[in-house]
Amino acid sequence: MKPIEHPNAVAAGQNGNIKLRVDELFKSYGHHEVLKGVSLTAHGGDVISIIGSSGSGKSTFLRCINLLEQPNRGRIFVAGEELALVEDKRNHALKAAEPKQLARLRTKLAMVFQHFNLWAHMTVLENIIEAPIHVLGVPRDEAVARAKKYLEKVGLKGVEDKYPSHMSGGQQQRVAIARALAMEPEVMLFDEPTSALDPELVGEVLKVMQDLAREGRTMVVVTHEMGFAREVSNHVIFLHQGKIEEQGNPREVLANPKSERLAQFLSGRLK
Amino acid sequence: MIDLNLILENLPSFFGGAYGEPVLSTSDGLVMTFQLLGLSLLLGLALSVPLALMRVSRNKWLAWPVWLYTYVFRGTPMLVQLFIFYYGLSQFDAVRDSWAWEYLQEAYVCAILAFTLNTAAYTTEIIAGQIRNTHYGEIEAAKAVGMSRWLMMRRIVIPSALRRALPAYSNEVIMMLHGTSIAGLVTLADLTGVARRLYADSYQPFEPFLMAGALYLTFTFLFVWLFKRLEGRYLAYLAPRKH
Repeated sequence: MKPIEHPNAVAAGQNGNIKLRVDELFKSYGHHEVLKGVSLTAHGGDVISIIGSSGSGKSTFLRCINLLEQPNRGRIFVAGEELALVEDKRNHALKAAEPKQLARLRTKLAMVFQHFNLWAHMTVLENIIEAPIHVLGVPRDEAVARAKKYLEKVGLKGVEDKYPSHMSGGQQQRVAIARALAMEPEVMLFDEPTSALDPELVGEVLKVMQDLAREGRTMVVVTHEMGFAREVSNHVIFLHQGKIEEQGNPREVLANPKSERLAQFLSGRLK
Repeated sequence: MIDLNLILENLPSFFGGAYGEPVLSTSDGLVMTFQLLGLSLLLGLALSVPLALMRVSRNKWLAWPVWLYTYVFRGTPMLVQLFIFYYGLSQFDAVRDSWAWEYLQEAYVCAILAFTLNTAAYTTEIIAGQIRNTHYGEIEAAKAVGMSRWLMMRRIVIPSALRRALPAYSNEVIMMLHGTSIAGLVTLADLTGVARRLYADSYQPFEPFLMAGALYLTFTFLFVWLFKRLEGRYLAYLAPRKH
């Protein structure tokens, strides 16, 4: 995978336009604490890879950002707006104070899932135009035009009327990426987008993601693909047991890990 | 031997031809069966979607009454339900004095009521089961794009559940087609009711009931074919790919 430049990314520390900020996120299941104060800041054009072994909390962290999981503590800002959180009496975790605000902020955070999660009873086109029409209120013609544009961007043509179950995993994931793009989000969240794919299909999805990164889209990617983390992202976060063990420029961090944990983690992988 | 003449002579009476005294007419036979079936299925289906949503609700004050309702109506024979509405209710002064009595003394209304509540109970459980079976990932995807709970139900969960409910619902429709045959026991002249009249007048049971049976069988085949086509269209996404 070829390294890419990040035209829009602002060097860390500069007060550029912050698309997503997560402060000190804590999450536990019962007595088991899976996130112990994880923070993240994504400026426009940043591509942040989150790596770590399974059980390190990386997926949970990503899913807390759009509240698919309820964090116990922490603050979340999307495009400068703080998501108001209050205690959920049922489980003592946090929930959105205002469901309408959560829904609105979620439209700015498009998510791509490990198992695609396309709506099975809808065709490819219906999957992509659904939320723009019914959530964003985009007129149908425009939503269809958007769908065609983004399908082309992910390298799929003439598949509008197919059902997801009649496509390969790699194609389904690219449809899911087109569905996310059609929301024209501020930030894209990828939850292990290639983990459920046959090895020969991983490349087509990674290539699409690389193209998106090159366009300057803001992405947070939970991944096992070290090649992607190293060459495509401009910041890497290594999570270990619910804490950030190490982070920084991937070409430095992954080449010369300072912590023993990361060195161990990397040596367990071939590339 | 089968008396073909009896069948041929009385064939029109199954399709609304005038017959006997008191006279059977255009609203009887096949027409009556299909009125009872169509109305109760339509009303039952309309009731069952909101009831199914209540049934799967986390709020037990919504879920529990629906559970009780479907349990009672699925746990008792439809004939008993019909008798309770037609014969049972008249026993109560409060019912006889109410505005509803004008309608409840009609066998037709009682039959529609019993059939509707019966099919709604079964259909509610069929749809509720499919709502519960909705792939969790599809619900997460709906949440993640910012759908409200209601929008998600309306656009994703219900359309998907209704499609997956089709095969079980086609059985329910056929069971109801056969089930309407009890309407004859409360004076209505549906297909079976007409057959009973012919039997009573001719003292020949075999031919009229054979005729009624043949008609039920024909329409059963028709419904099976119709639902296969609906499934072909609305469940195409579950079919193996064709290329």
